[in-house]
Amino acid sequence: MNNNDVILSVQNVNKSFPGVRALSDASITVRKGTVHAVVGENGAGKSTLMKILSGVYTKDSGTVVFDGETIEHTTPIQSIRRGLSIIYQEFNLVNTLTVGENIFLGRYSEMKGMRNMHKQARTLLDSIGSTIDTYRLVSDLSAAEKQMVEISKALSFNSKLIIMDEPSSSLTADELTQLFTLINDLRSKGVTIIYISHKLDEIFELCDIVTIVRDGQVIDTKPIDHLTRGEMIAKMIGREIENEFPSRPLVTYNKVVMEVKTINTRKLKDISFELKKGEILGFVGLVGAGRTEIVRAIYGADKAGELKILMNGSPVKIRKPRDGKHAGIGLLPEDRKLEGLVLPFSVQSNIVMSSLENISKFGFINSSKEKEIAERQIKSLSIKTPSPHARVKTLSGGNQQKCIMGRWLEINPDILILDEPTRGIDVGTKYEIYLLIKTLVENGSSVIMISSELPEVLAMSNRVLTICEGRISGEFNPEVDSAHDIMDAAIG
Amino acid sequence: MNLNVQALGAQALNILNKQKAVVAIAIIFIVMIFPDTNFYTAGNFSNLLEAVSTNAIIAFGVTLAVICKGCDLSVGSVMVMAGIIAIMLLNSGMNMALAIILAILSGSVVGFINGFLIVHQKSEAFIITLGMGMLVQGIALLLSNARHVSASDPNFQRIANDNWFGIPNIAAFMIVFGVLVFLLLRFTSFGRNLYALGGDYEVAEHSGINVLRTKWLAFVLTGTFAAVAGVLAASRFNTGIPIAGVDIPLMVNCGVVIGGTSFAGGVGGVPQSFIGIFVIFLLRNAMSMIGIHPNVQMLVLGIMIVAIISLDCFAIKRKKEAV
Repeated sequence: MNNNDVILSVQNVNKSFPGVRALSDASITVRKGTVHAVVGENGAGKSTLMKILSGVYTKDSGTVVFDGETIEHTTPIQSIRRGLSIIYQEFNLVNTLTVGENIFLGRYSEMKGMRNMHKQARTLLDSIGSTIDTYRLVSDLSAAEKQMVEISKALSFNSKLIIMDEPSSSLTADELTQLFTLINDLRSKGVTIIYISHKLDEIFELCDIVTIVRDGQVIDTKPIDHLTRGEMIAKMIGREIENEFPSRPLVTYNKVVMEVKTINTRKLKDISFELKKGEILGFVGLVGAGRTEIVRAIYGADKAGELKILMNGSPVKIRKPRDGKHAGIGLLPEDRKLEGLVLPFSVQSNIVMSSLENISKFGFINSSKEKEIAERQIKSLSIKTPSPHARVKTLSGGNQQKCIMGRWLEINPDILILDEPTRGIDVGTKYEIYLLIKTLVENGSSVIMISSELPEVLAMSNRVLTICEGRISGEFNPEVDSAHDIMDAAIG
Repeated sequence: MNLNVQALGAQALNILNKQKAVVAIAIIFIVMIFPDTNFYTAGNFSNLLEAVSTNAIIAFGVTLAVICKGCDLSVGSVMVMAGIIAIMLLNSGMNMALAIILAILSGSVVGFINGFLIVHQKSEAFIITLGMGMLVQGIALLLSNARHVSASDPNFQRIANDNWFGIPNIAAFMIVFGVLVFLLLRFTSFGRNLYALGGDYEVAEHSGINVLRTKWLAFVLTGTFAAVAGVLAASRFNTGIPIAGVDIPLMVNCGVVIGGTSFAGGVGGVPQSFIGIFVIFLLRNAMSMIGIHPNVQMLVLGIMIVAIISLDCFAIKRKKEAV
């Protein structure tokens, strides 16, 4: 390979976050004028790597050479000016400004007047075949149009390398075809694209080379025509399921505790399923496939039009989380810091939050009962905290998660929904959480478990539903069916 | 032993760091030793306490609104309106207790409407209560025909002006209401839920807390407390003055924040709010005693408020960076 051909060379880059090794010895070489795919499961390290390239994170060690220049420390704006742009899935645009203003955000003084700015924006948009009026507000644009604006913005910096993070996730089929045409056009003009996606079909259609990332390591880089879909999935899943899980609990009851009949929302299509008493039901799917939306709808956290849920055979109305709680459903939310914990509160206050009304008389909290609950849960979940009054934000992630579990265990829900229960938690605590889940179902509760870690769901669940693009795309028995088939159904 | 003293010292420093208003109070008391004034007399302290009382009662209510990440700028007008309503009902021959209860309820109604608009219509508390304040001010002007109204029943002024074991009644009322709100915040599930939803609305909602009712009730109470203060103020001067409440909302909300009940929500309480209000009135009182020109007084007051709040914010910023 000729060295002049290489636009980006990443050698042995390491990055750790407290408790997690996000990247270890990652190396990638990207050649000029190619569309280079990066694939991997959620949390494999793709985003970390991209954020190091764009300057959001700083690498711990390793070298990055971009366009012949070795880059030690960089900031997002320096990277962009060097010609490395990144287009995030959720876009980086100011909704209240116009298209033109967004393209040249922060560079008005270089533009010599608004009219000239809009003129240049027009030229850029024309060059990628877009007809969006530069005076329109970004908030009025569709996702596809916003993407065009982002691409124009990247081109306005004469970007040599554009990283696209899940660019297709919010596009319709037609819009996707347009995007592909545009990407092919950019490639022929010598612009390099790093294309991050979960959708393997797109990657086979569009990309030249693919790099597979797993557990913070680069597993393989190969030209796309040297790989089959099956090989790619095998490399993505990789690790064998080892002895890191307790034995699978058996479903001993034969009673349906919850029946969900056809949830239909903007994102979800015809979702219906049953949950048995004492069962662990796993939801497998990509981030954004609708897993979280399903459980949020059931719990009442999101508004979902006509929601038909039968609990123990009788219909319940759930419009807000409070209704969910009263129906006997608990939710351990995906983002424990944003949705699960009041961070400035103490461990005790966080644990008793949902049971206050049970221990209050005329609105006055019975403080001895409060203490009792906190101590009971701290003990039974072995939450490591200096005292019940310690601020919950001083605890480790695993112990924080246990506090939320303790909150729900105290009111003993029929159904506990766990959305990413072990994300960012160390292995030892993970095992404890698995044991807790097991005890919970053995005592007659039911669990819905969502996790991006496939081995975890497969090892714990009695039954698995795969969710793909807002639909249930398959039902599997993880004891019999292979991980490969399940992943295939989830990717769709 | 030595360690203990050190720990105590560190703790004291920590408290002072959190309560810059206390430092300001201490400084004022020390400075006032030197000039020859009537500052250190029982009469002055009694005056000071009376002036603080009505504002502190309003502040206790506003504390509830600020804890749940709101604020209430209608309290000044509510106070004025309640005073005028109480006096006018009384003058129309109504039984005094009934007149006062109705006047206080008028404040609850305003709080109820504020709460509805903020909780259910998701309006911004700042602007809604500002507008509501103008609306209520208008009602007060219409009711009183923009004139001062005085109670004909001499018993009315006794409510605030009598003494109770040497404590001015109005100060006793302040203490009662302060304790009430303190207990409410500290020992009831309403109080706990209020802190939770101010600290993190989503989390509180997801935990199954009745967030709407809790926040709504906070605003009803805020309005009610403003009306209580209004009746007491009217009794104190035996007059309802339709334009007396103009600078009260900003001063009270400001005092609450100075005390440490942050607009960011989820923190604060009654003692903090009292200290915040107290420091404002203490500074005013001290400056009047020395004979500082009112225009300069305003300047100094402003300097103190800006200094305390920016120092607080600086401390929070440093703490965030340290983590």
